[in-house]
Amino acid sequence: MGDVVEEDVIRHLYVHVPFCARKCGYCAFYSEAGEGALVSRYVEALVRELELVAGDLRPRTVFFGGGTPSLLTLGQWERILKSMDRLGLLGAAEWTVECNPATVSPDKAKLLRDWGVNRVSMGAQSFDESLLERLGRVHSRAMIYKSFDVLRAAGFENVNVDLMFAIPGQTLETWRATLGEALALGSEHLSCYEVIYEEDTPLFEQWKGGMARVDEDLACAMYDELLGAAAAGGFQQYEVANFARHLAGGSAEVPDRACRHNVNCWRGGSFYGLGPSAAGYVRGARTRNRANTTLYCEELERGRRAIESSEELGPLARAGEIAAFGLRMTAGWPLEQFRQRTGFDLPGEWREEMRRMIALGYGELNGERFHLTREGLRFADWAGAEFLRS
Amino acid sequence: MENSPSECPSRRFCVEPVHSRGGRAIPFYTQQTPPLFAVLAHGMACVAFWRIRTTELPFRTALSTVFCSDRELHMDAAHIRNFSIIAHIDHGKTTLSDRLLHRTGTVTTREMEDQLLDSMDLERERGITIKAHPVTMSYTARNGETYELNLIDTPGHVDFSYEVSRSLSACEGALLIIDAAQGVEAQTVANVHLATKQKLAIVPVINKIDLPHANIPATKAQMEDILAIPGDNAILASAKEGIGIDDILEAIVHRIPPPAPTGAVSMQALGFDSYFDTYKGVVTHVRVFNGELRPGMLVKLLHSGKTVEIKEVGSFNPKPYVREKLETGETGYMTANIKSPKDVKMGDTITDARNPSPVLPGFKEIHPMVFSGLYPINTADYEHLKAALGKLQLNDSAFVYQPESSVALGFGFRCGFLGLLHLEIVQERLRREYNMDIIATYPSVIYRVVMTDGKVKEIDNPAFLPEPNYIEKVEEPMVFSLVICPNEYIGDMMALIAEKRGVVDHTETLDPRRVMLTSTMPLGEILIDFHDRIKSITRGFGSMDYEHAGYQASDMVKLDMLVNGESVDAFSCIVHRSKAEGRGRALAAKLKEVIPRQQYQVAIQAAIGGKVVARESVSALRKDVTAKCYGGDISRKRKLLEKQKEGKKRMKSFGSVNIPQEAFIEVLKT
Repeated sequence: MGDVVEEDVIRHLYVHVPFCARKCGYCAFYSEAGEGALVSRYVEALVRELELVAGDLRPRTVFFGGGTPSLLTLGQWERILKSMDRLGLLGAAEWTVECNPATVSPDKAKLLRDWGVNRVSMGAQSFDESLLERLGRVHSRAMIYKSFDVLRAAGFENVNVDLMFAIPGQTLETWRATLGEALALGSEHLSCYEVIYEEDTPLFEQWKGGMARVDEDLACAMYDELLGAAAAGGFQQYEVANFARHLAGGSAEVPDRACRHNVNCWRGGSFYGLGPSAAGYVRGARTRNRANTTLYCEELERGRRAIESSEELGPLARAGEIAAFGLRMTAGWPLEQFRQRTGFDLPGEWREEMRRMIALGYGELNGERFHLTREGLRFADWAGAEFLRS
Repeated sequence: MENSPSECPSRRFCVEPVHSRGGRAIPFYTQQTPPLFAVLAHGMACVAFWRIRTTELPFRTALSTVFCSDRELHMDAAHIRNFSIIAHIDHGKTTLSDRLLHRTGTVTTREMEDQLLDSMDLERERGITIKAHPVTMSYTARNGETYELNLIDTPGHVDFSYEVSRSLSACEGALLIIDAAQGVEAQTVANVHLATKQKLAIVPVINKIDLPHANIPATKAQMEDILAIPGDNAILASAKEGIGIDDILEAIVHRIPPPAPTGAVSMQALGFDSYFDTYKGVVTHVRVFNGELRPGMLVKLLHSGKTVEIKEVGSFNPKPYVREKLETGETGYMTANIKSPKDVKMGDTITDARNPSPVLPGFKEIHPMVFSGLYPINTADYEHLKAALGKLQLNDSAFVYQPESSVALGFGFRCGFLGLLHLEIVQERLRREYNMDIIATYPSVIYRVVMTDGKVKEIDNPAFLPEPNYIEKVEEPMVFSLVICPNEYIGDMMALIAEKRGVVDHTETLDPRRVMLTSTMPLGEILIDFHDRIKSITRGFGSMDYEHAGYQASDMVKLDMLVNGESVDAFSCIVHRSKAEGRGRALAAKLKEVIPRQQYQVAIQAAIGGKVVARESVSALRKDVTAKCYGGDISRKRKLLEKQKEGKKRMKSFGSVNIPQEAFIEVLKT
């Protein structure tokens, strides 16, 4: 049990760009205000890090997240893209760059598209001006429309729109309106998150300071509204918070416009994570880079990766983790695929947990696949925890 | 330990005890070394050797005092006085005791501090004495005669009234301290009752006369009206300022009678307290009533039935020191081969095993009155808790415990206490001295259940209350309570007593300001917050005391708390029918607050028999999922989930409902 055939080269790459024009109130990701000199230094360090892992990397998916990757200048992007070209890292089937609606220029969009970026994830968050302000976003609703047009004009045919719900002050009506406007954009992908109050964010402080939180019933109603509207808008839900179109026609367990990069993460696949604070998962070992950009740069300037911590789980714990996170997807786990990936038999090792979930109506075993039901997905954290093994 | 002479001006001599590293004083003398008087007889050459330190007195005077002390050691009963100090809390008992010890040169200022440091923090914090210590003092009276004064301290709380009366029965007299500003309080009355029952000579002392609010005439008037003690008998004093101390000492000598032999055929002594010494085993505090108690004697403990050989006798100054013997009227300690404090019943009569004398009057078995389950919060601490309880019991024979288990709380101990204060003290000591994290179940008294078949069961744990159809009647313990409060609060006070199912038997005007309410109340009702409520109603001016008053039939029922239909034993309690619903409602509301939401609705019910009297519900959790989760989060997220899962593991499951340990603590705290 637990024997896994590892990949010969790693097929997925995540790059963290830790700069933002302004820190959003809800965001706990590592980022800092980008000052010219530090950003340039970061770009050089990143190139160095790409060089260090390139030999073990033939990416099928690339994801530039942040932070605000679109904040990098044309020149900085060129430096990165040319290096990737030199290192043979271009040509991914899916290459996503996260954009903030305020930072997408036609030039930049065109540059990215020309080099092979084929997917943009746009952090719209809301179409309601007052809520955008509450969230501390730098953009307006007009900018969302404008950026979307810019992206389409540049030739992007796979665009994701990020939305947030259960924002303090948001009503079911404003959420419904935002959903309607987002769907009307006609994007291929939709990610909708309930606001998380993470420690060390201004939002968390506001909440602790007594700001009313959207209550659970309203949050649930908003989620129901989302499920209904997304389905009506032609989206297929494939993860707790992710919806995509299936353009090939017919039906699929995972729609073809799903973010393949993220699907790989949820399914416990390997990926390199580069850039400050980035997490990677390579052949069973999780690593995390130093979060401080200066320290990150210093390490790479000395010619070594800036790995701050790493962790390797035992086979069963690893399988439990893979089971837990894979179940966030509506497709759940094809039993055979799980066996190949982890070396463990899902119904063999987790018989009792699966039985209990099925009894509660939270899980279903359909032929060769175990997945959570629509109701079960609402308790995906609980279900996931049940599958964890220490 | 070097004292400068100026620190002990009144000191005649002192023999320094040698201190062990652990800090406990071990007498310098042991049975292997000759006793003090023998050494003295050998002449002055030995004096230096024995480290007898003189004060600033010239050498010649020092010499005479040495011989004088030699005489003291052969004290006849006519020169012995045994007395206690009784007082309401905070009326100045401890300060006066310290003054007396100081004035008689028994301890120096420095030692007094050491002494205080040695005693339990809790005693000082709460201003009460928990353990009684006898102390032997030597006092040369104005008539030139030297007397041996034995101060037998008494615990200062109503919970320990039997211990008080036991200590009093070792005395011929008592100093009654009354605060000149506060006047007679409830405990003053109760203590005077106890002392009068023992036929003790009472020496009233009006203390704190230096206070600006002191009202001596009013205090005297109260003494006469309430206690029937002539006000003019009172000595005016301020222990704090050192006023009246000599008058008190003189009064002890002249107003308290010397001990008289009982006329029994052999040695008779009363064991009135004990403590445990690692080296010596159980050290029993004794008062010799007849004959002599000497090492080597074979004695019988009449109530416990044990026969033991005396290993050592001695007195306290206030540290223990060995003596050759204890004679009629003298007070001190004895050790024998007694390993467990349970083998010595407090109040037992000790007599010559070969030629036994009859028992001394007044013995009562001590019975715990209040019971509560103590459980370690961390189940792995069970053995630690067991060891800690064992150690506590060594010095507190009134405290009893036995193992029990609860579905909700796991393995723990059913513990019996003299009263609620005693319970609190034990809990607090477990926390402080043994670092135990414990949870205590709702305290219960002992109910007497008369079964339909005529058998009588004593129930101190709601879990064991028989089904109602087997019960003929339930009797609950009652108390006579004594409440003294300012006039303006009498209405609120009577309402409180009624709320506590009490009946006011008697209302008495004490003075233009205050009244005394005598009432009969169930013990179970005063356990929880009666004293605190009195204090809050009267803004601190009220006081209360009580004595046990037997059992009375009462309509008691078992209140069960059900969580999704399952009874949670830790929350069950025996309550009066009239209060069951209210308590049930309060408990249900509290449980609703502390039980976390689950994936399904949780019903909380309070039920008597099968009948539900209160109901609450915890609505179902509608979701348990974090929307955002990507590659970078997985490790962090997994750890978070693991932590939550671990937290759930620590919860107790009732049917399908998980209740965290904190919930039990929260509820049992209220």
